[in-house]
Amino acid sequence: MFFKLIFRNSKRNRRENGLFFASLLIAIIAFYIILSLDNQDVMIFLKQMESNAVGKLMTIIPAFYGMALFILFFLIYYGSKYQLERHKHGFGVYLMMGMSRTKLFLMLLAEDFRNSIVSLIIGLPAAVLLSELISLITARLVGLGIVGHQISFSFNAVMWTAIGFILIKFIAFLILSGKISRKEIGSLLVETPDGVKVQKPAFVYALSILIGILCLAIAYILAIRGEAWLNLKNMGLTIILGIFGTFSFFYGIRFIIDLVVKNGKGNRQLYVFNFRQIQETVIHRSGTLAICSMLILAALCCFGAGVAITRSYGESEAHVLDYTFKNIENNDTEAVRQILEDNNLDVRFSDLFEMKVGHIETTKDYDNAFQMETVMSALRDMQPSDDRDVLLSNFKYDTYPYLISLSSYNELLTSAGLPNLELNTDEAAVYMDSAYTVYGRKKLLNSILDTNPLVYLDGKELYLTGTVQTTNLVTDRSITLSFALILSDDAFEYYTQGEYSIYLNGVLKKSETENTSLMSAISDMNKELRKTGLSYESYLQNMGRQLFYMVAASYITIYLAIIFLIIANTIIGVQFLISQQKAGKRYRTLIHLGAEYATICKSSGKQINWYFGIPTAVAAFSSLFGVRALFTGIVSSRARSNLNEMMIVSAAMILALCVIECIYIAVVKRSSDRYLLTLMVPEREE
Amino acid sequence: MKPILEIESLKKHYGKSKNQTKALDGITFQVMPGEFLGIMGSSGSGKSTLLNCIATVIMPSSGNIIMNGKQIQTLKGAELADYRGKEIGYLFQNFELLDNLTGRENILLPLSLHGVSENESKKLLERLTSYLEVEDVLDKFPAQMSGGQKQRIAAARALILNPGIILADEPTGALDSKNAKALMEKLSGLNQNENATILMVTHDSNAASYCKRILFIQDGIICHELRRDTPDESQQDFYSRILKVVAQLGGGSANVL
Repeated sequence: MFFKLIFRNSKRNRRENGLFFASLLIAIIAFYIILSLDNQDVMIFLKQMESNAVGKLMTIIPAFYGMALFILFFLIYYGSKYQLERHKHGFGVYLMMGMSRTKLFLMLLAEDFRNSIVSLIIGLPAAVLLSELISLITARLVGLGIVGHQISFSFNAVMWTAIGFILIKFIAFLILSGKISRKEIGSLLVETPDGVKVQKPAFVYALSILIGILCLAIAYILAIRGEAWLNLKNMGLTIILGIFGTFSFFYGIRFIIDLVVKNGKGNRQLYVFNFRQIQETVIHRSGTLAICSMLILAALCCFGAGVAITRSYGESEAHVLDYTFKNIENNDTEAVRQILEDNNLDVRFSDLFEMKVGHIETTKDYDNAFQMETVMSALRDMQPSDDRDVLLSNFKYDTYPYLISLSSYNELLTSAGLPNLELNTDEAAVYMDSAYTVYGRKKLLNSILDTNPLVYLDGKELYLTGTVQTTNLVTDRSITLSFALILSDDAFEYYTQGEYSIYLNGVLKKSETENTSLMSAISDMNKELRKTGLSYESYLQNMGRQLFYMVAASYITIYLAIIFLIIANTIIGVQFLISQQKAGKRYRTLIHLGAEYATICKSSGKQINWYFGIPTAVAAFSSLFGVRALFTGIVSSRARSNLNEMMIVSAAMILALCVIECIYIAVVKRSSDRYLLTLMVPEREE
Repeated sequence: MKPILEIESLKKHYGKSKNQTKALDGITFQVMPGEFLGIMGSSGSGKSTLLNCIATVIMPSSGNIIMNGKQIQTLKGAELADYRGKEIGYLFQNFELLDNLTGRENILLPLSLHGVSENESKKLLERLTSYLEVEDVLDKFPAQMSGGQKQRIAAARALILNPGIILADEPTGALDSKNAKALMEKLSGLNQNENATILMVTHDSNAASYCKRILFIQDGIICHELRRDTPDESQQDFYSRILKVVAQLGGGSANVL
């Protein structure tokens, strides 16, 4: 009989409480995905490219797993709490009938364990499948033809998922069942709503909401002005103000709801009842609501930061070169070409050209070799701005710039499909590596270059002309120049005195990359080149690096964001359902007074909308500032300069949030409707 | 005069044929407009089942309940909700006020449920609250009221939509004698002055003595009926007669019929 009861109850639990069961599955999937991360195709690929960085990422996985355990514990805790609350009455009856508390505890434990096992049996395959899917999709998105898909299944991950899941489930169970078993039978048998708490005078709440708004406003201002990022103290202050402000706001929000109740039009069906219900749940749970709101905010910020980081690495300069051969002995590029030819590799390049870069060799006066006072004074005359100040302080040190030969730079431009430069011997073009420039600074500088300012190179007059050049000289990182001058070939030869380095750049033939991804073409080529002993770098490293940042940032932030969102929403949903159940008697009274099923469903639907809506709206509003603050703080200035794009990202995020909220609201409404239906057959209490 | 409520051979049986409980075993009576009818009986006599059938809380096994010429067992959905809200006003033993609503909000709840504007009922609200002496507690929450105040608020809620009949289910059951007396005086006043029709289930003889007619139920059938001989009979005399019947029924030995 005992086992039959366990079997029946755990089956009923799963069927009745989809929300609870879904939260269990989500926890399992979340654990597995984070634990099997290093088996993902992208990660396997990146290990070859950026083994150091990937290694570092992998060392933080256990910490991340610990954090996920901690966060998901709350999810399980609230899910199980609702579950137990639902069946409190039954427990009371068991105890009344003389079941010992130990036996009740054992029964609940067995039920719980059985549920956990079923969740694992369903959840693990789902998790493996999902992780596989993510692996395939990311591999596909980044064009990983080369690695070939590997099954990401990891036995270790499965083990740790099961262990972690059962552990947090057990802890949550111990706490909850401890609470239940300490309760008197009477309070188990009767559902009582939390009732009216002792109210403080209205002005206390009004004051609280005012203080909350004030604190939040200060926090917002600190955040978007970037002052929060100046030092730890400011950051701490911003965060504390934000947290305190949110709590204070939610504590005082009953004041506003009270106003709504008193001034609303009473004609609408159950208007007052709805708001009194919302007010009660808000009064009793203002702290939880504040926490949920902050979790949603954290999720939005994670999303925002993830997208921004991804974008700022993703939107790097256009890709022109596939290969650069470097460390060429005696600048003998012919020898390199010969080796390529001998190995029959030269035919695979559509373009092979030299890039000549050197120093000023005509003078040793490094501090005065190059002077551009005209440019500096033109900058100083401009309206003050961050970009101007950066340029001013950078240019102070650019007294000994690199020189680039015009003919080799023009070849690069031709490869990139850009118009060539034309320079006289007394003219120079400014080169800045794309990593060092942003749109705003380029614009400033171009406006000065339009005036053909006069500068001095080793005391000789030189006119700067054209626009700022930013096409990367080599394929990856052998040379990145923050400031250099492109000189006509004669001038280049003169100033460098023939002492310069030559890099041999290569572009793969279109036919090479046509049938396969660029990545696989390059890694095939790398295999061949390794045999020749040539020193080279390929675009693959560049790509790998970007990919790593993109993958790491998007994985972690989106993962966190989803977990935060799920937890916040589950807590809100579960709390609503618990309080609704406690208020079951009120609904019974309404039915007695002639409320139809549709009416009370509508009423509870409205309450659900508000209950979800308040914390979500607050979070969405805060996120407008939070995301901007993150952009100010961590994202490169390149991405920052694009305000419109940022707003689009924010809007898209809020839209996504709305969709998720709608899903949750729909699920909770369904649960609530089902519960209300059980009340529709009124019973008279004797 | 047409009866407001007709009960015709009402039966409610629980369980299967072998060990069947006959909570109601063929009850027939009528309630005329302006009547104050009491239903008495010991626990398990079936009086609550009868009230629950009329209030559409439970479905009778057979027989008819006709309210204002309408058969109520066939009501469904909106009609049923309308019936519960507008045709009957229900007074609960334990008040069933929503504890997160103020007194006024509790009274106005049926209006909001049935889409009646507050202005329409403003006068009625004022009259009811002043008659029931609950004006002081209108803006208080139930937790801040006494039992008597709660029950009078509940009474105002039951009356606010001007129902054809008030069903009172042991309305004094949770009140002390002083508050019980006050409530009964108010109900009886409503009956005499406003011609309100009241059907009250009780086992409190004192409360029953306010009625004009009392039906005694035992084992699912009406076993006795008392009529107060108004205005000649005093309430005290009627009370004595009720006590006599209760004592005889409780003794179970003699049948007063």
